[in-house]
Amino acid sequence: MAEILNVGIDLGTSRSAISASNGERFVVDSFVGWPVDMVAKKVLKREVLIGHEAVSNRTMLDLHRPLERGLLKEGSEKDVEAVRELLKHLLRLVGVNGRRAGSNVRAVVGVPAAALRTNKQYLRNSMKGIVDSLLIVSEPFAVAYGLDALLHTMIIDIGAGTTDFCVMKGRYPTEEDQRTLTVAGDSIDTQLLKLIEERFPQANVTIYMVRDWKERFSFVGHGPERCLVTAPVKGVPTELDITNEMKAACETLLAPVSETMIDLLARVEPEFQERVRANIILSGGGGLIRGLPEALEAALASVGGGHVRYMDDPVFVGSDGGLALAMDAPEGDWERLSA
Amino acid sequence: MNNELGMRREGNERLKRRVLQEAVTENLDVMRGLPPRAVRPARRAGRIWLRRAPFFLVPLTLAGSTYLARQTAPTSKTPQPRLAAAAAVTATPSFVRRPAPATDTAADVERVTSAAFPLAVRRIVLDAGHGGADPGAATPTLSEKTITLDIGNRLRALLERDGFTVVETRSDDRMIPLRERARLANDSQSDIFVSIHVNSIVKHTASRGVETYYLGPTNDPSLTELAAAENRVSGYSIADMRKLLDGVYADARRDESHELAASVQQELFGTLRNLDPKLENWGVKRAPFLVLVATGMPAILAEVGCLSNEQEAAMLSQAEYRQKIAGALFHGIRAYASANDAPQQKGSEHHG
Repeated sequence: MAEILNVGIDLGTSRSAISASNGERFVVDSFVGWPVDMVAKKVLKREVLIGHEAVSNRTMLDLHRPLERGLLKEGSEKDVEAVRELLKHLLRLVGVNGRRAGSNVRAVVGVPAAALRTNKQYLRNSMKGIVDSLLIVSEPFAVAYGLDALLHTMIIDIGAGTTDFCVMKGRYPTEEDQRTLTVAGDSIDTQLLKLIEERFPQANVTIYMVRDWKERFSFVGHGPERCLVTAPVKGVPTELDITNEMKAACETLLAPVSETMIDLLARVEPEFQERVRANIILSGGGGLIRGLPEALEAALASVGGGHVRYMDDPVFVGSDGGLALAMDAPEGDWERLSA
Repeated sequence: MNNELGMRREGNERLKRRVLQEAVTENLDVMRGLPPRAVRPARRAGRIWLRRAPFFLVPLTLAGSTYLARQTAPTSKTPQPRLAAAAAVTATPSFVRRPAPATDTAADVERVTSAAFPLAVRRIVLDAGHGGADPGAATPTLSEKTITLDIGNRLRALLERDGFTVVETRSDDRMIPLRERARLANDSQSDIFVSIHVNSIVKHTASRGVETYYLGPTNDPSLTELAAAENRVSGYSIADMRKLLDGVYADARRDESHELAASVQQELFGTLRNLDPKLENWGVKRAPFLVLVATGMPAILAEVGCLSNEQEAAMLSQAEYRQKIAGALFHGIRAYASANDAPQQKGSEHHG
């Protein structure tokens, strides 16, 4: 009898999460790096570094962030290899140590709602030999499935590369039920870096530092606290107040997300609009931006009001949904979905 | 309360199975390099259905007979109507040996669900109720046959514009027996059957509402009465009836018919209530209408209005209102079709 492990994977631009049927759950930064030379290899004592470890040692690495806007970067062999390393790492974390005879790994992977069929095929090809069977689904659909929110619900999944919208109407979402914006976590980082550089031209700030600060302090509306960070200014560690920059950068998300949310709502059958408005769920890392549900609810006031809520566990909600799909898929379907 | 929770849970599980099946189908399409279903050349799903029929006939019939044997009135204590009871008695086909009393085998027989048949919807039969010497319900100035034909024509235009192929059982004012309507539908190898009717409740002229039927036994005497009225010009003998009823309650077709009926009823009520706030939602119901019995595809009968109500009769006499009804039917059919596939094939066929 084959030992079966079902996994749900949220393959993200910034972070990737995995939930497995053996109860294990992990999230890693979606970075993969190879030592740049023999010296680096000797220092690091590893062939390849993944996740936070890769980011921390990036100066010694040929660092790759293989997913762009939630999709595998096509045409780069190194990025394909990076995705494969990332996936193998995720599987190792949940206890899969290479392909063993008699083992059977079934994976459900979430991709952005607007992923093209060629993107999906490309991902499928790159996962050959890593998992036995593969089901690729729209990420917000995986979220909805995991939450049993398949009817009269809108999922807004704010990741690093994309913000995905999906209205669940009791069917597998079609193109008209979904939207993808490229305004997401990364665009906030870029904007925040730009604003900080404008205000503190002498400060030496990198995108990685900005990303860390955003994850600690991000907010829209009224800030709960001052955003005080430390960065070198002319080589001297200096405390900077970036509260206004943080607010401005995070609020760049508001207009496009509000507009898309209301536009999608307007396409829902009139008698169900109120129910959907009352069931809007934020997931993904962007779901952690403080004040965002309230700001979106304020935007909904103009169309009759609504309720937007965070998920308690926004980072794993996608991979947990993928796992639920993997567990529910019939045996016969898995056989047909061999990777 | 527990029963309601159980039903809700069961409905949710069914929904999950369905969307999961759709996700798997999409993946298989991508693996095979097939273009999205919405732009794929039209296939004749009906043919596929027929081609597969021999593989499913026996289990379907067994499941159908078991279902009938299990079917009991959930709330009402009224006696089972004659037609429904007859269906239960004759449900086991003569060529299938009954292995044991159905109540004993109920747990052993797996229900065949529609999820096993993820088929496309391309060709639709529109059946405008009544016609010719059979006016259906009528007021001094308006008859059901005229309204159903007009709505049918409007609906046909909408469906064709959206790429569906439409087959009409009648395109002018003539009487077509129900048997002939069913034959036309079955010969056309269509994917779904939509019959359009208008209600008339002379005992309750203050009432007005919309309702959609799909095939199944009913324990409501008023529905039996309604079915009897609609079945009047059938052209079927009792022997024919016995054959027709053999296996007609098979789960897969019944599930699909229910899905279609729910989708149409939702659109009908949602749309028309905006125009008439007093309109009542009489819901999705089961009834043994003959056109539903005799057609070999998912089939529904929509009662799109109520001529016995003076206000609604006035609205039904207006072309704009009939266009709204056609629009609602269109959106209901389209929503059902979208769940399986999207239409592409152009063209139409007319009969009658």
